[in-house]
Amino acid sequence: MKFLGYHVAKGMLVTISRFANTYVQGVRRTLRMAPGSGGPGSQGIFTVQYPEQRLPVPERFRVLPVLIREEATGKIRCTACGICTKVCPTQCIWIVQAKGEDGKTKNAPESFCIEPNVCMNCGLCAEYCPFNAIKMDVKFELAEYRRQEVLRLEDLLVSSEYYDRTHPQATAEAAAAAAAKAAAKAAAAAAPTPATPAPGGTHAAG
Amino acid sequence: MNAPAAGGTVVDEEVLRHVHLTTWFDLVGEMEKATSWGRRSSLWPFGFGLACCAIETMAVGAARYDLARFGAEVARATPRQADLMMVSGTVTKKMAPVIVRLFNQMAEPKYVISMGACSNGGGPFKEGYNVLSGVEEFLPVDVYIRGCPPTPQAFLHGLMELQKKIDGESYIRNWKLKRRPEIPVPILGPDLVDVRRAGEIRDKSAAAAARPAKPAPAGRPAPTTGDAMVVDAAAWGSTARSLRDEQGYDYLSNLTCTDFTDAFEVVYHLHRTGPGGPRLAVKVRADRARPEIPSACPVWAGAELQEREVFDLMGVTFTGHPNLKRIFMWDGFVGHPLRKDWTEAYYEEEHKSFASRWREGAYSSAESRSAWGRNVAYPAGFDATELAAPEPVETPGNVDKRQMLVSVGPQHPSTHGVFQMRLLLDGERVLALEPVLGYLHRNHEKIGERNTYLMNMPYTDRLDYLTSMANNLAYAVAVERLCGMKVPERAEYIRVIMAELTRVMSHLMAIGFLLNEMGAMWTPAMYALEERELILDLFEMASGSRMMCNYMRFSGVVADLPGEFMPLATRLINERLPRTADQVDRFLTGSEIVRARCQGVGVLSRERAINASASGPVLRASGVSYDVRRAAPYSIYDRFQFDVPTFPGGDVYDRYRQRLAEIRESLRILQQAVKGLPAAGPVIDKKQYLVRPPEGEIYSACENPKGELGFYLVSDGGMSPYRYHVRSPSYINLTALESMCRGHLIADAVLILGSIDIVMGEVDR
Repeated sequence: MKFLGYHVAKGMLVTISRFANTYVQGVRRTLRMAPGSGGPGSQGIFTVQYPEQRLPVPERFRVLPVLIREEATGKIRCTACGICTKVCPTQCIWIVQAKGEDGKTKNAPESFCIEPNVCMNCGLCAEYCPFNAIKMDVKFELAEYRRQEVLRLEDLLVSSEYYDRTHPQATAEAAAAAAAKAAAKAAAAAAPTPATPAPGGTHAAG
Repeated sequence: MNAPAAGGTVVDEEVLRHVHLTTWFDLVGEMEKATSWGRRSSLWPFGFGLACCAIETMAVGAARYDLARFGAEVARATPRQADLMMVSGTVTKKMAPVIVRLFNQMAEPKYVISMGACSNGGGPFKEGYNVLSGVEEFLPVDVYIRGCPPTPQAFLHGLMELQKKIDGESYIRNWKLKRRPEIPVPILGPDLVDVRRAGEIRDKSAAAAARPAKPAPAGRPAPTTGDAMVVDAAAWGSTARSLRDEQGYDYLSNLTCTDFTDAFEVVYHLHRTGPGGPRLAVKVRADRARPEIPSACPVWAGAELQEREVFDLMGVTFTGHPNLKRIFMWDGFVGHPLRKDWTEAYYEEEHKSFASRWREGAYSSAESRSAWGRNVAYPAGFDATELAAPEPVETPGNVDKRQMLVSVGPQHPSTHGVFQMRLLLDGERVLALEPVLGYLHRNHEKIGERNTYLMNMPYTDRLDYLTSMANNLAYAVAVERLCGMKVPERAEYIRVIMAELTRVMSHLMAIGFLLNEMGAMWTPAMYALEERELILDLFEMASGSRMMCNYMRFSGVVADLPGEFMPLATRLINERLPRTADQVDRFLTGSEIVRARCQGVGVLSRERAINASASGPVLRASGVSYDVRRAAPYSIYDRFQFDVPTFPGGDVYDRYRQRLAEIRESLRILQQAVKGLPAAGPVIDKKQYLVRPPEGEIYSACENPKGELGFYLVSDGGMSPYRYHVRSPSYINLTALESMCRGHLIADAVLILGSIDIVMGEVDR
């Protein structure tokens, strides 16, 4: 017959062993035998000392959308096709298509607005943008003292260099896909029969 | 400090060199620095959470982000001891008076952090009829944190911004600032009434009477075809009884109603727990002019809350219902919002996407579309100034002198969010209990019927915000069944991995917080949150968000797993999580305290569990072996070896053991799934943003961690569902709460509620 409180004591052993383990892991970390705290596989103390330390942000991480401007040419990639406004679940994207002097619409936005306090950070706009023009930013430190109702074109634009830097994997994949497409096109031009298009699907969300 | 006078004496120079000279204001300034430093380094937050974002504030308090490093971990359960209010989540109209009242009770100097898109400006639910467009309508906000939801690190950044703000404050000079006037508490009239604007509301209501109403959606007549059994309203009472007693349909899965132009169609989805088999759909049509049908409560107790929901949102009366009154909206709210001809203040068009957004999409705020400049609408000629009187105190007539009526919640640390229990007590003993809901009613279904099918996917993340991956799966499966889509092999495995990881996480959290309820403050919950972080890392890696994954698409998933996913997941699934499960077992299962508190408490008998439509672990812990993954397999669950554990007792202890056993079974599935995952292959069959299912309807259910999550979709062949209903397990599991609590102590009622494991986002939707 076990004494009353036997199981409580046994349970306490779990907490004690976890506590002791923080020291064991601390020593191991000092000797560089264990990974730092907070990451996968980390044991013992689990704290990430934000803001001195930061958890690495995965590339697919999404906060608010941004619009990409080509670093080399300064051109805005957006063509004002309106697909993002059509997929946006909260309808927080507003686009006015630019018009030429002759009154004909141009493939460029005249104004582009996003309501950051309505956006649900779902990433559908970036996912379905055919021009890689709208992407989800990984910047999350966005606290503010005054509420900004609308982000306009000038607030949304970031350079393509910034995006490529924050999303190396997606950039590499897009480059590879473009190269494959160009190769297929060249092959199609050389061969008399049209080449079958590559199976789509594995598109990395920005 | 005075500048040394030109040609000063030696004494002056010596004084300047050795004596610290200061003015009165400089001295005060130095003191202020110290007080500001003290104040900002020991913020006492009010332990208060509204919705999804509150889960992230909880994560901030846990080991990984450790709010204690900022001196702000002393979460107070009462506003009188707190100086920081973190408004974390959607502020609904029903909750607004509560929040204002709580804020008024906080001691000065006090600060408000508005966390997340909803609290900042309405967020994704802004267009909803029960949602406030930002808490700043009533409270003075100091810091806004963007994100939906902000990650814990983003939250800490916001907190540091607040600290900076406090550092720059001068309270001693502006001592008058300390006495800010109380904010008048808004009143729930025909809509939310801001007392400060009563005159303006009256004037605008008078003007609105002359204004032509916006054209409301027309709806369509009920389809005549379909394989459902249609029963006449008059015969429904006896038919229901014979369906249960003679044909064995003992379990009411789902009850909802569709608004057609010629009738309200109430639909019942029935199931046989004994022999199983396909569900039976029964439809009862109610006359539009006088919608009235007999209540199914005497036959299936599980109809109780669901019928109240239909009554509230559709206006169908159920004769013979024991307690038929509004459930999500308050008494006095005008109209039944889910009717097709009922439109909100911010109503734009019948379906998304709105034409005003593109080509000529000049931004205009939603506020400018409402006659009252806010997300409110009042009947024509409404005079709010008459309302601006103290609310009458409700005194129930039948309360004995020894009895007490106690209201627990909607702000209470043990109600898992904004849940309210009205308890009738005799001393400490519960005589009666009534759940009061709607404080997080975010109008999912109304918004869902305006959205396209794909747009609803990220909204499902916000149903049960602890289990977004599993919600995604349930919704994707429903639409895929409706459209007859195929899912590639690799995507199926990925889906199962995600859903089962979600289950492990959700059950660990449920166990951790159950122990919180028992008084084992935070240790088990912290352990659970640690494992949760590791699982969320995987989700974030694959989907881009910790909580709002939005990862599944119709016929697949968004993107293939990133390269580093599988090594980490395999290690977690094969090594760490089984170890954690064993640890939890060693830690808690045998514990005399846990057994003393849980055994025999909150017993839900097998019969009652079935009759009250309980599902998930709550049902299985009462000895009913019903798991949708087994009973009606979806995805590829039929390929895995796993048991459906059950426990006979039906008490809190068995529900605890049930969850632990289910964690182990999920790990078994996961271990098979990571082994069976095809090395490569497509992860989506057809990527499309416009899905047009054929005309028809479907009720499709999946086994979520909380229970049977069902989606009832009626398609009219268009791009948006004609009817979008969520059968939420947390909500329906609450039906049995009263009978479980009656006769127990109030402390046990808290425990019993914890053992049901509700999430308010799903309860109130």
